[in-house]
Amino acid sequence: MSALVEARGLAAGYGGRPAIHDVTFAAGAGRTVAVLGPNGGGKTTLFRALVGELAPLAGSVRVAGRPAYVAQTERTRLDFPVSALDVAAMGALARSPWWLPVRGADRSAAAEALQRVGLEAEARTRFGALSGGQRQRVLLARALVQEAEVLILDEPFAGVDPASAERMDTLFAELRSEGRAIVVATHDVAAARDFDRVLCLNDRQVAFGEPARTLSRRVLEATYESEIVVLEEDDGPVRAVAVQHHEH
Amino acid sequence: MPDLVDFLLEPFRSGIGQRALAEVVLVAAIGGALGFWVLTFGLAYGAESLAHGLLPGLVAAALVGVPLLLGGLAGIAVAALLVWLAGRDERVGTDAATAVAVTGMLGLGGVLALAPDLPPRLGELLFGDPLSARAQDLAAAGGLVVLGGLALAALHRPLAAVAFDREAARSLGLGTGRVTIALLGLVAATLAVAVQGLGNLLVLAVLVAPPVAVRRHASTPARAMLGGGAVAVVAGVAGLYASYHLEIAAGASVALALCLAAGVGAALPPRGRRALARGRLRRAPG
Amino acid sequence: MGAVPSPLDLLALPFMRTALVELALLAVAGGVLGVWIVLRRLAFFTHAAGAVAFPALVVAGPIGVSSQLAGLAAGLGYAAGVGGAGRAGRDSSAATGLLLVASLALGVVLASDVVRAPAGVDLLLFGTLLGLDGADVAASAVAAALALVATLVVGRAWLATAFDAAGARALRLPVGRLDAVLLALVATAAVAAVPAVGALLVTSLFIVPAAAARLITGSVGALFAASVGLAAVQGLVGLYAAYALDVSPGPAIAVVGTGLYACAALAGRSRGGATARAAAPPVLHARGRAR
Repeated sequence: MSALVEARGLAAGYGGRPAIHDVTFAAGAGRTVAVLGPNGGGKTTLFRALVGELAPLAGSVRVAGRPAYVAQTERTRLDFPVSALDVAAMGALARSPWWLPVRGADRSAAAEALQRVGLEAEARTRFGALSGGQRQRVLLARALVQEAEVLILDEPFAGVDPASAERMDTLFAELRSEGRAIVVATHDVAAARDFDRVLCLNDRQVAFGEPARTLSRRVLEATYESEIVVLEEDDGPVRAVAVQHHEH
Repeated sequence: MPDLVDFLLEPFRSGIGQRALAEVVLVAAIGGALGFWVLTFGLAYGAESLAHGLLPGLVAAALVGVPLLLGGLAGIAVAALLVWLAGRDERVGTDAATAVAVTGMLGLGGVLALAPDLPPRLGELLFGDPLSARAQDLAAAGGLVVLGGLALAALHRPLAAVAFDREAARSLGLGTGRVTIALLGLVAATLAVAVQGLGNLLVLAVLVAPPVAVRRHASTPARAMLGGGAVAVVAGVAGLYASYHLEIAAGASVALALCLAAGVGAALPPRGRRALARGRLRRAPG
Repeated sequence: MGAVPSPLDLLALPFMRTALVELALLAVAGGVLGVWIVLRRLAFFTHAAGAVAFPALVVAGPIGVSSQLAGLAAGLGYAAGVGGAGRAGRDSSAATGLLLVASLALGVVLASDVVRAPAGVDLLLFGTLLGLDGADVAASAVAAALALVATLVVGRAWLATAFDAAGARALRLPVGRLDAVLLALVATAAVAAVPAVGALLVTSLFIVPAAAARLITGSVGALFAASVGLAAVQGLVGLYAAYALDVSPGPAIAVVGTGLYACAALAGRSRGGATARAAAPPVLHARGRAR
């Protein structure tokens, strides 16, 4: 099975200096990968390299088609006058010529995508007026319109209300069964156990593999260094809680 | 009633007046629309710097006898290059580095323009003169409106996507660098054409005042652009009226009218649910 | 072709001596305040302050007010307005730009059509370094003195704020009032420089030397010294060049300044120039020695 997204010996960074190095992983159709690591450890750098925003300083990156990238919503412009429908329709830019105005077919696809994420009622609402969870779902709707084979999501559940989170979980399961590859950066070590693979990143790649075998105490401590609290249980499985730092 | 009609038509009975009207209307239409993106991408300081920095180009063109449009374009190119060079060291900061480049260019323009025996109508270069618009200036303005308008229409979706979410724009296949360069090119062309009517010190008004005037009142980029163009045209014409009836400098009069429109538009509260209210989050229904 | 004029003429001719004194004073004011302008990112603010002075100076004579007073009022009013509006993010550059344009437009309308002294426009915009009177020089002296005193008294607090505004507030520094003082000082000093170098070229002495100094020095103390020194050299060389080439001195000084910056950029290469990361300004220790 050929991978939809893979990196080999990837190093990437800014101004000629690598922020991450020796990253090697692959994900095929219907596979989900959780990327774990501390803030500043390189998750966003990796995603920028996957999306093509950063050229690799070493190694290679290969992604099938144009990946859908859902960055943290704080990176979007909240005062820009666009509605939820407009944002979803932006996904069509990956499939149709950029110099033409939005076509009817693209608009229907956007409406359908909003329905799929449960936001058809907010289609005309200004994006900045939506809650955090709703904004995240609109960006997912954009990813759906894009019809990308690979989805790359940077902490999609951060600050999201439980109802939105549940909807997003359902959506991920659907996308998975449709054969898409999903790469998700997350701080939730417990949730990472439900993914097909985990990639532990802290400037360099600490580990990549199935969660059950990879998420050992040693790996987690190497990934998060002082930012992790590891709770050992008597009957074996290690539970770990990552300490989140809030950026000011 | 005849007095009112007289009042309205009198400034534009002459060929000079008509050409001034055409120049102002054309430049205001394209500048007011493009201004939305200038404001959105935070290019006000950059545009002001390019506008001020092109002075030596204008002066050189006036001295040599070459059309001002070419001098303006050359001046912008050199100014942009110097700003880029000056800004390469991050310790100084882009705005200070830009100031270094712009001050040098303004100084060079001043040296050339104020040298004795060679006075190249410095006042008109600095403050513009719509009343001296000739057929070729109108042709340039007309060309800018047509080509600029087409470019803005074609670039509409990429500009919106890049402004809204720069990183995702890359993943959608848009070259964010190329989009920005296209926008800067449009800005440069507009500056070079508008300099004739407004002068290099005041030309910023036609790019920045209209979007400031409409930004609280427009709910989509398209509305902001059309509204900006309309406000700019109205303000520009009002400026020409003031210039004629009050007997004050035309270029400065248009610039003041534009700035006044910006002040009024920014102060008026937005009306209705369509308007752009900042930071108002609705409770999530679920 | 005549012989090249001697630099000693600068000392012999009275109006030249006045110009030299003025330039020395502006070198202090511009060099010292320039460091703060660069560190606190006030370039556009300073440029606009010069422009705001323009209409005030146009009407000063005709309405019977001294130009120093009119300029002071304009500068303080501008600083108060900016301080009141808050130095908030991205909108401020649009508003500053429009204020700059409106000031220049108002000034030229007043000069050409109200006061009817259009010839004064060029002089106010590009300076009359060789036509200054005692009041202009006195104003510059006051600006220089205030710049020095304020830096000595408030400098550490300003530096702390430049380095980390949130941290400065946590240290119970009255950041708002300190910023207001800085804005007022920069604005009024810029206005004081307008008669000499022109409303458009205030930044030639208030930003360019400090920026150039930033490229070649590492410590704060050296930064101030280099900034003032470069400003003085720039003024001297520019004045002499203007005298020798028979061009307007204000613009000549501006061109020389940018040339000095270019030299500093080349000289600073060896210290890790173009690829230098955006370093925070060096921290000032309790004893005033920079790390």
